[in-house]
Amino acid sequence: MSDELTAVVERVSRIDGVRGALIVEASAGVPVVAELTEGVAGDAVAALAASLYRRASTATSAATFGGLRSLQLEAEDGHVIVAGAGDLLLVVVAERAAQLGLVRLEAARAAELLA
Amino acid sequence: MKVKTAVADLQRWSEDVARDPGSLSFLPLARAYRRQGRPDAAQRLCLRGLERHPENVEAHDLLALLYLDAGDRKRAADEWSMVLRLDPANFEALRGLGFCFLEDGEAGRARQHLERASLIRPDDGAVREALRLATERDGGGSSTPPAASTTLPPPPAALIEPEPWMESPAPPAPVAASEPAPAARAPHQQTPVDPARIFDHVIGGPVLGALLVDTRGLVLAGRMDVTSGDVEALSALLGGAIDEARRTVLLAHLGEWRGMLLDTGNAMLHIAPATAEAVILIAARRDAPAGWVLRNAQNAQAVAAQFLEAYA
Repeated sequence: MSDELTAVVERVSRIDGVRGALIVEASAGVPVVAELTEGVAGDAVAALAASLYRRASTATSAATFGGLRSLQLEAEDGHVIVAGAGDLLLVVVAERAAQLGLVRLEAARAAELLA
Repeated sequence: MKVKTAVADLQRWSEDVARDPGSLSFLPLARAYRRQGRPDAAQRLCLRGLERHPENVEAHDLLALLYLDAGDRKRAADEWSMVLRLDPANFEALRGLGFCFLEDGEAGRARQHLERASLIRPDDGAVREALRLATERDGGGSSTPPAASTTLPPPPAALIEPEPWMESPAPPAPVAASEPAPAARAPHQQTPVDPARIFDHVIGGPVLGALLVDTRGLVLAGRMDVTSGDVEALSALLGGAIDEARRTVLLAHLGEWRGMLLDTGNAMLHIAPATAEAVILIAARRDAPAGWVLRNAQNAQAVAAQFLEAYA
């Protein structure tokens, strides 16, 4: 399994514009596998992204919109994508010009694998 | 001297375009041709210019005016629709489309566009009058054909572009102390806007609804036709998530938070800031293209900011 997780992270990291990819333990927000460029605070991003995902997932479920499959944060200079359904999440930090379509596709595949 | 300057400008623009077909000088040259009563030449220039600069908003707007001059309201409306796709808060396009729809008897669509135009320029008399007519006709519910277009207000002066060598218009006379300044007109004196309808141009197709929600989770405007979820509950619950979203992107050195797209089992949801005190929530069908949802979210943000500025 850990080989598969590493393969997911490596594949996502190779996408143009991706600055970091992590597999994160959903409840604790701890990175399990990570590939990051310099300057990306992996531990902190992992913790906050996991917390946000849990909170958003609770909100969408409580409002009967169904389970959360993925979350995409947009910011001035880039994006953070979080995907997953079980104990593990894929977190991707990407620049503004990144190939988001590819990232979303990989995130969806990773979510199926992680579920 | 001013006439000579204008001729020199025309010559320079013509040379620019002849030397480089991609030159943006096509735009002032086309405007000059229109003023000179050479609409065919103006139109040819615009069309050629748009081949190279298809997203030039001013060129689309000028082409719309040229079509309108020629009596082709349909093509004028198509061009202004293109302007709005590129620049959702473009006053000229909103006004132009509003007038076109009003002429065509589509009072509801006229009202939507004129309401948005009036949010941008509340003091535009022609828009105000046209909006009053559109509101009357839209609210009348009569099956009889709308009144003849001769009842419409005259085209706004701004549709007739001034000659570049004309003197700037004299500044308006100072308002007498006893008269309220136009900008200070109270909201209740403006043409009433239905807050539930301000996002009507976004809602439709895969987009199920849009709401403007304040930081307390209370809905300020918009409407939502969603049966598979409780949107107000979602608005109330997401407040904490939004704070975390802001912190996450800051920590990732990605600058300010601009929005959040949630892909759920039953819908695609988008939350984005409208102002510091309010967010916009958009719900779309689960199979809606993400790019389309994001594009509509941007459109809604522009409208929400104008609404809050005018009525908050």
